[in-house]
Amino acid sequence: MRRRVFCLAFAGAAACRRAPRLNVYNWSAYVAPDTIPRFEAEFGVCARYGVYESNEEMLAKVWTGNSGWDVAFPSHYLIRPMRENGLLAGIDREALRNLGNLEERFQSPPWDPRLEWSVPYMWGATGIVYNRKLSPAPARWADLWNPALKGRVTMLDDPAEVLGAALKKLGYSLNSTEPDQLAAAAREAIAQKALLRAYLNAEVRDQLVAGDVLAAQLWATTAQQAMDASAQLAFVYPAEGFAVYVDTAVILRESRRRELAHRFIDYLLRPEVGASVVRASRTATANAAARRLLPEAAASRVLYPPEEVLRRGEFFEALPAGAQRLRDRLWTEIKSAS
Amino acid sequence: MKRALGLYAALAYAFLYLPLATLTAFSFNRSRFTLWEGFSLRWYAEAFSNPQLTEALGNSLLIALFSTALSTAIGALCAYGLWKRGSAVLTGTLYLSLVTPEIVMGVSLLAFFQFLFRWTGWQLGLHTVVLAHVAFSIAFVVIVVSARLRTLSPALEEAAMDLGASEWQAFLRVTLPLLRPGILAAALLALTVSFDDYVITSMVAGVDSETLPMVIYAMARRGASPVINAVSTLVVIVFGALIVTSERMREG
Amino acid sequence: MSATSARRLRFWFLAPARCWMAGLFAMPLVIVVAYSFLTRGAYGGLALPWTLENYGRLWDSLYLSILLRSLAMAGAATAICLVLAFPLALFISRAAKRKDLYLQLVMFPFWTSFLVRTYAWLFLLRDTGLVNTVLLALGIIREPLPLLYNNGAVLLGLVYGYLPFMVLPIYAALERLDGSLLEASADLGARPLATLARVVIPLSGPGIRAGSILVFIPCLGAYLTPDLLGGGRTVMIGNLIQNQFTTARDWPFGSALSLALMLAAMLLVLAFLRGARQEPL
Repeated sequence: MRRRVFCLAFAGAAACRRAPRLNVYNWSAYVAPDTIPRFEAEFGVCARYGVYESNEEMLAKVWTGNSGWDVAFPSHYLIRPMRENGLLAGIDREALRNLGNLEERFQSPPWDPRLEWSVPYMWGATGIVYNRKLSPAPARWADLWNPALKGRVTMLDDPAEVLGAALKKLGYSLNSTEPDQLAAAAREAIAQKALLRAYLNAEVRDQLVAGDVLAAQLWATTAQQAMDASAQLAFVYPAEGFAVYVDTAVILRESRRRELAHRFIDYLLRPEVGASVVRASRTATANAAARRLLPEAAASRVLYPPEEVLRRGEFFEALPAGAQRLRDRLWTEIKSAS
Repeated sequence: MKRALGLYAALAYAFLYLPLATLTAFSFNRSRFTLWEGFSLRWYAEAFSNPQLTEALGNSLLIALFSTALSTAIGALCAYGLWKRGSAVLTGTLYLSLVTPEIVMGVSLLAFFQFLFRWTGWQLGLHTVVLAHVAFSIAFVVIVVSARLRTLSPALEEAAMDLGASEWQAFLRVTLPLLRPGILAAALLALTVSFDDYVITSMVAGVDSETLPMVIYAMARRGASPVINAVSTLVVIVFGALIVTSERMREG
Repeated sequence: MSATSARRLRFWFLAPARCWMAGLFAMPLVIVVAYSFLTRGAYGGLALPWTLENYGRLWDSLYLSILLRSLAMAGAATAICLVLAFPLALFISRAAKRKDLYLQLVMFPFWTSFLVRTYAWLFLLRDTGLVNTVLLALGIIREPLPLLYNNGAVLLGLVYGYLPFMVLPIYAALERLDGSLLEASADLGARPLATLARVVIPLSGPGIRAGSILVFIPCLGAYLTPDLLGGGRTVMIGNLIQNQFTTARDWPFGSALSLALMLAAMLLVLAFLRGARQEPL
């Protein structure tokens, strides 16, 4: 299978001189190995596929409107800032025949009710992944402040996530802009720092599997990958609430191949394509039709929590400049506290 | 004292090579963890069958080639010009570029390109990376070639001109051949600095200009597999071969 | 042979370098200076009005403490490099034969990727890394030592990455040392250690200075090493600047920080070079 994919990719690259081009910028590990080659083969085009590890990385390239990318996958809370900065070309619903494949709740999401600017692709939430030998098992964010975990617990290296967890622990909103609340959250985070091993993102996965880290704040998809590698691990959505995010496909205004971009997004919305991606990447798809093709994936309570759990979740929001600056400063304080 | 120094040197070299040796050893490990499970080339196979890696490698080599050629030429000429008569402004600027932290340089170049591209509609790509690499390599080349120039006597060129050569001929026929080892060393330095650069490159790279360090960094960030070990070993081998070849050429 | 043709030749020789540095170094820096006086836009990016606010923010004790910590870290790394490099350079310069080989052996790790070398330490120092595995197997420790994600690991990474930069200039300086001076010192009855302390080290001053600068400056602006080996627990000024241009999307403040860093670096280099009027490096 891998050899076939490689040949496809190679053939695609070789034929890639004169065919029309599409440049897609996506998160790493968000497509299956054959997704892009099949698209190229079917539509007779050349697709250049770049990956990034964070929204900031993508935004830094895309911000001034001449990065060369046609399609990108920002998280949902960046739709409004990108739109207000004139970075997005609208989505033409008529061109997307497979739009109906999306889950109900993503057909009309709060950040883009008519799906004029973005098309939900994958979604996820942040929770706690832990080693089963921990007793009692963690069930809330507050449990990550447990002194018994000293040196064996990590948090994400992300200001929104760390401050978010602290805010939730204190009972506030994830997107709070109140200076008092934020200051209190920062104090909590600084207090926790003494217990932390490090602020790590996906790289904590190996340490969880090896048993060095006993509990970590982690995204559900990465946690699922860790759990696939070790039966000792479990995942919980904290009782106080948690962050939910949706990575959405957008077409950049600078793109001169909007029609082809639409066709690519439509292609991704196909059930079999979505299913193939999920099988490879173990992520939670917003594509209901794709999910129906995969009974086992739908059973994962980590990737697809039941409704009553999901209701505790809160979507991230883009924050006004003043609040953002306060959060940045607090994050710097947290990181430089000893 | 000589023996103490020798012992110390042995320890120092061990320190310098331990990480690399370990990386190499475990690139042949079948398991992805630190327990040795048997000899295997699977990570090398994975490295070669990864189109992203091979393409990044190609990009890195291409960029390094162009930027080395340009920066060595520009830098060597500049060093020679400065040797004839110094220029405080130019020397100062060159030293400033050495003193500028990489992140500052990367950010300033990104800002510059984005500002420029607002009017011209160009985009980031391999060319912007080459432009950036030459910008920070010139100073290195100038220093190395200048060091070499300082060991030469101006009397040689004067003698040539006394015999009827023009300044240009004196440079071409007398000084340049004598400068060859210095220029070679400078080129090697420029090549390495360009091939190895991550910070500046990641900021000014475009759609189709992902380089090897960028890929390695992304993989390290994801806590990825011993494929990095395999790639690193290959990089070490290639550069080792390069050095050995250039040394042979220098002696020959 | 005329003065004008010599001058013209020199003009053309210097022109490419001048253009390149002007266009791709000076101009970008001017833009950064301009950015440092602007304001952050609503969701990032730039906006008017022009303001001095970013420079005002620099005096915040939080950022000053980060700068101080970075200076301390870079200083420590430089000092350690110096202590480690000097004997090695001494050894190489005293080696009768194979001097070139020894030098190349020092340089060789430098010819490999900086990222690779930093990653190697990640691999070695992890809880499941080689060091801990060996120590556990030998029974010296019962639980893995937390070797990673602290200042020590960052320091180690910095020293390891820049050691060759210190060895080379010191070696070059030692090479130019006049052997007769050492003989004279011995003739006057000084023991080898005394000769070392009173003659060799002072005379290799320029090499020490050059090496220190070559190590200190990159260490000051380092951000990869604290990032990878520090586990995000340490903020050095390089990380702070990088953060402004990415997560925080506050380009104006990031620009002000960058210029402050450059200024600090320049002042230190100038102060350091004040002693040496000779051609540096």
